Amino acid sequence: MIMGGNNKIIAFCCAESAYRAADRAGRLRIHYPDNVRVIRVPCAGRVSVLHILKAFEKGAAGVLVMGCQEGACRHLTGNIRAKERVKYAEDLLKEVGINGQRVKMVNFGPDMAQRFAREIEEMVEKIKEE
Amino acid sequence: MPVKIGIFLCDCGGSLRNIDFPKIRGNLAKLEDIAFVEISHNLCLEEGEKAIASRILREKVNGVVIAACSPELCEDKFIRLLEGLGLNPNLLSLANIREQCSWAHEGDVTEKALELIRMAVNKARLLQAVERGEVPVNKEVLVVGGGFSGMKSALELSQFGIRTTIMERESTLGGKLKELEGFYGLETSPKEMFSSMTRAIEEDKNIEVLTSAEVARVQGEAGDFTVKIRKGGKESSRSFGAIIFATGYRTEILPQDFELKPGVNIISQQKLVEMLQAPERLERRPETIAFVVDFSDENSRLPTLSTLNNALAVKEKLGSEVYVFCKNLKVDSEGAEKLYREARERGVVFLKFEEKPRIHGEDSRVKVEARDVLLGEEVTLLCDLLVAEEKALPPEGTKTLSSMLNLETDTQGFYQDENVHLYPVASGRKGMFFVGACRGNLDLSRALTDISSALVSVYELLSPGGAMVEVEKVKADSQKCRTCLTCIRICPHKAIRLARVDSEKWVAKIYDLACDGCGICTAICPAKAIKFEGYSDEQILAQVEAIGE
Amino acid sequence: MIIAERKPLEEIRNMLAGYKKILVVGCGTCVTICWAGGEKEVGILSSQLRLASSKDGNELSVMEAVVERQCEKEMVLEELGDKAPGVEAILSLGCGAGVQMMAELFEEKPVLPALNTTFIGMPEKEGLWVEMCGACGDCFLDRTGGICPVVRCAKGLLNGPCGGTRKGGKCEIDPDKDCAWVLIYHRLEKQGRLNLMRKYYEPKNYRAVKRPGKVQAMQA
Repeated sequence: MIMGGNNKIIAFCCAESAYRAADRAGRLRIHYPDNVRVIRVPCAGRVSVLHILKAFEKGAAGVLVMGCQEGACRHLTGNIRAKERVKYAEDLLKEVGINGQRVKMVNFGPDMAQRFAREIEEMVEKIKEE
Repeated sequence: MPVKIGIFLCDCGGSLRNIDFPKIRGNLAKLEDIAFVEISHNLCLEEGEKAIASRILREKVNGVVIAACSPELCEDKFIRLLEGLGLNPNLLSLANIREQCSWAHEGDVTEKALELIRMAVNKARLLQAVERGEVPVNKEVLVVGGGFSGMKSALELSQFGIRTTIMERESTLGGKLKELEGFYGLETSPKEMFSSMTRAIEEDKNIEVLTSAEVARVQGEAGDFTVKIRKGGKESSRSFGAIIFATGYRTEILPQDFELKPGVNIISQQKLVEMLQAPERLERRPETIAFVVDFSDENSRLPTLSTLNNALAVKEKLGSEVYVFCKNLKVDSEGAEKLYREARERGVVFLKFEEKPRIHGEDSRVKVEARDVLLGEEVTLLCDLLVAEEKALPPEGTKTLSSMLNLETDTQGFYQDENVHLYPVASGRKGMFFVGACRGNLDLSRALTDISSALVSVYELLSPGGAMVEVEKVKADSQKCRTCLTCIRICPHKAIRLARVDSEKWVAKIYDLACDGCGICTAICPAKAIKFEGYSDEQILAQVEAIGE
Repeated sequence: MIIAERKPLEEIRNMLAGYKKILVVGCGTCVTICWAGGEKEVGILSSQLRLASSKDGNELSVMEAVVERQCEKEMVLEELGDKAPGVEAILSLGCGAGVQMMAELFEEKPVLPALNTTFIGMPEKEGLWVEMCGACGDCFLDRTGGICPVVRCAKGLLNGPCGGTRKGGKCEIDPDKDCAWVLIYHRLEKQGRLNLMRKYYEPKNYRAVKRPGKVQAMQA
């Protein structure tokens, strides 16, 4: 854990896919760890590198950027840009000595409730290692 | 005016039992900018709406937080409610404490619910009102392409009183209607259709026709496209509210698919059609004709239809023996299955292959060798004519036009990326639509469906209320903008252009009607000059701040 | 415009060793446009610095600011006049000119460069900058169809290609680069000015600009 940080995972979820998948998980009562906080964005492409870094700065233990599958982005390139930014953020975190795996780009469709829960669980496991 | 936030908590009919609502209320009420915290059982029902209305009318709040079920379910409803109460709906911030909290975890989730609400409160503190307004739109429509789809679109739009201009780059309208022999299942022949449609267009006061004219350039966005037209070496500018692309398709035999070059004995479907139009002029009646379908193409619906149609025509006009070599028969076009059955009844022989047939010339005839899958045997056929499969391709100039306009194409070059959000007729650019064959849809019934869809969208756009926008919801600050052109280049909806705003400086301007609110520009702006109200950096980071406090 | 790149974090942290209170300053002109030192990059770097020092258990207070043009005295003073005195060191995300202007204005404070200023260039597409001009002070783009071989030819040749051009018109030294003289040839061909390639040009005077350069413009 980062010194002075918490155990929260911040998941930036795009309104078209990931946010809906998260809702679906709730509807199906698929349980996942409760230390995740979802921030809804119109497109994964809205998330900037600064948001990711600031999340860690404010103490988050892990960040997920969740968007539509490639080829299915309503804004055509939003999820691709998000992917590139997450890669950049990984490098920036490594420069600081923070494990780049604490930030991850995930792509899935609005009905993938199980997948959503699984990604949260995986990230929770990851942040336990240091 | 100081921020005063009203908070409503909904316990969903008392069912969210793993949240301690009074505890949350106690915690929130301590914050100094909170006007009230009200617990309700059913904010979505009439009683809840009344509670919201009475509170908001009574107390002066400039921000509202509602903690309830998913915004997917309740956001629209609350937006309308707030509008009705005279409060700008952009001042609403929602916390999802049901689907993403109470229902998602075991045990008590009060702490998480509280944090989600604090996130929403932090955001609410920074929200600004955004006005709604109507963007004036030009009510004329440009139809690019004067073939069947183009003409039909114009005629349909005219029924709704919408004026169109058809732009056709050939010297006459009609497209493939002038070439095709017939449409299966339709009484009307293409020639009849062509003459009746062109007559209707001539008489229609709502339709203007420009022939030998091409699109040179398009600028602007939905409601206000400035199109530069090139006609007879001269250019002129016209303004349109929407553009429908109906540029059709072309076919080509790809010589590399056959070892032999197309020649006298290997002809295209087109050539066959020509021959059949005047069979008496043939030197010698071909006794055996072979067709090859689905040889190399992924999109062989049209060749399949042509083959079946033409095979029947051959039977009727020439009486020859007809063999069809096919890998698969794509009969999902309207009427195709019936055609297939009819062809078989008339004696057309279908041979199914897995590997490509080998085709050689032998004397003046063509030898086709293939392994028939059903017989399990090698089949050799000597025929007088081989009618080769043509590949359906987008028309010449599609690549140039689509890249000029930043329109998506699929892997084969037809318009419209295979993106689920674009179906059936939309493009990434609002106000631009694709119909008919240029979408890779090569049959008539699909073209008709496309046209209906496009019609609805265009009509909506050009009707009162169709161009309602949230005014300057995403805005580039003209002082901070460095005119680096990044946002202009990367906007997937082409909604940003250079404009002179305030001073004489060129800065980026985001056009509300074309903007689809993705925020890609906001994230990429190196000067952080773009503000996206509701999802600004500050508003997002305020939510991050509330976590782990 | 001037293109620059941010230094690796480690190098920057080494420069900052021992300082507890710093000001990170971006520039709103060239380096904003090339995504190296604008407000966003200031935010990113500052975030990294805070994260790093918090991780190491060091104390570090980071203030952020942006000057519209760091090479303009008035603009620097306007923006940083009240911020500079309170810090121990200033980390500049401006180009070399900006760093030096600030160093001159705040002489007692160490002004440290966070960027490496690399070249004069332009965008090939968003995010990708390519060098175009070597600032040689003796421009002869008129003879080369607007393509500069000083910078874009790996060997800086002035009289045609070296003979090592690879297939596809690629440079012998760097196969990812186009051979500048192939580009020049095609450009002059389009303009019907291939005769220019038959002329011999003497070796260039690379000291046309006496360094450090100085230009006195005529009164407007």
